[in-house]
Amino acid sequence: MNAIPAELLHIVIGLVAVAASVGLIGLVMVWVERKVAGHIQRRPGPFEVGPSGVLQPLCDALKLVGKQLFMPLGADPILFWLAPVLAFLPVLLLFLPLPVGDGLQALDVNLGLLLILAFSGLAVLSVLLAGWASNNKYGLLGAARGVAQSVAYEIPLLLSVLSVSFVAGSLNLATVVEGQGTWPWNWNIMTQPLAFLIYFVSAFGETNRAPFDLPEAESELTAGFHTEYSGMGFGLFFLAEYANMVVVCAVATALFLGGWHGPVLPGPVWFVLKVSSLMLLMVFARWTFPRVRFDQLLNINWKWLLPLAVANLLLTAFFVKLAQFA
Amino acid sequence: MEDMAKIAFGLYTLIILGGSVLAVGAKSLVRAMVGLIATLLGVAGMYMLLNSPFMALMQILIYVGAISVLIFFAIMLTRADAGGEEAESAPLRQNLLSLLAVLSVGGILGWLVLTRPLATTGVPVEVSIEKLGLGLLGPYGLAFELISVVLLVSMAGAVLLAWERRNGK
Repeated sequence: MNAIPAELLHIVIGLVAVAASVGLIGLVMVWVERKVAGHIQRRPGPFEVGPSGVLQPLCDALKLVGKQLFMPLGADPILFWLAPVLAFLPVLLLFLPLPVGDGLQALDVNLGLLLILAFSGLAVLSVLLAGWASNNKYGLLGAARGVAQSVAYEIPLLLSVLSVSFVAGSLNLATVVEGQGTWPWNWNIMTQPLAFLIYFVSAFGETNRAPFDLPEAESELTAGFHTEYSGMGFGLFFLAEYANMVVVCAVATALFLGGWHGPVLPGPVWFVLKVSSLMLLMVFARWTFPRVRFDQLLNINWKWLLPLAVANLLLTAFFVKLAQFA
Repeated sequence: MEDMAKIAFGLYTLIILGGSVLAVGAKSLVRAMVGLIATLLGVAGMYMLLNSPFMALMQILIYVGAISVLIFFAIMLTRADAGGEEAESAPLRQNLLSLLAVLSVGGILGWLVLTRPLATTGVPVEVSIEKLGLGLLGPYGLAFELISVVLLVSMAGAVLLAWERRNGK
């Protein structure tokens, strides 16, 4: 009875690995984003610190940690500091059910996909609390946009994910991956191209990434919901954004792009490669497309993504039932 | 493991009670909503303890992720800051009536639980989603459809309330 249960040990090791990799991914992504932005805008990006400026994010992180934490006058102290913590903590949980390789999963649960979807909803709450508690007009406006946007984009996201799990017959990400083959034409993206498109577009909306980054649109709202956060208060929001991006891309990889499957190279390498290329795509999109207007953002969702996702789900259900009879 | 389950039960009970006290007692509406969210999360934990992770995750997905967010949106439209009209405490009569309302529901439920205890199993059995889905569309179909009627009634009620307010102005 005194021995530590193996499952608990499994989860603790997984959590430590996740926490370490989230920090590392944050640093790498900051560098990648600044380099890509630089080259797209025909300038070199960071290049002073280290070769090609790779050590720049490390210096930025040190600076952020060292900065003083301010709180605006009239802000709600508890809610103000609860928000960044609430933004960051659930993200660590989201990594647990991700299948990086065959059997390489921190938490093997039947409802892995549902767990990710459920706890990613807490991110909206942190945006809301941050915007409200800051006692700042821009913060409040950013929060109001955050609500309207995330409530809207969650629906097509859920529907597109659901159509894939209809085909796979499971909510366990590992099972969905096992149902796909080695080569690209065996992946779910071949049978569900529309669902992938809807998922990826909604993912931009859910992670508040440009061109859908209206809750923090810097040209209109200074920094939106995190205007008043200094130092690591801002740092946590920032880290959570990148971590959310990784989760969204990893789920897309597992659902649509065959997960760890791929020729020659070992599974985890393929998984990391696919996730990184999706993330690079998101970074490219941010620096290529201008930010949409808010009514356009909602119109894309309610008039296009939602009806398409519903139609896709109905068609999928129809064919799944047909396959059962055949 | 049984001890751990008891500790978890105690922890969730504390979260639920603390959250609901905050939800009822807080002056700021936003803080009250944070209390409500804590309560909902605690209830999700209870579902987890009852070995029904699907219910727990649905509780978080729907109540914490969607409904609380919508409530927040409604709060934003009110003057809910510390000096606003929503922060004033309710009159005594209203407090007494609300106490009566709580006691009537709580009393009936408590009386039922105490006098007609259900036969319980020691270890909860997990019901698979497949079974749950078949049950909802098969033997419990009528109850399932009735829930949607309840939702429809509440939606119509909300529209009616908003309509009256606008006419009064």
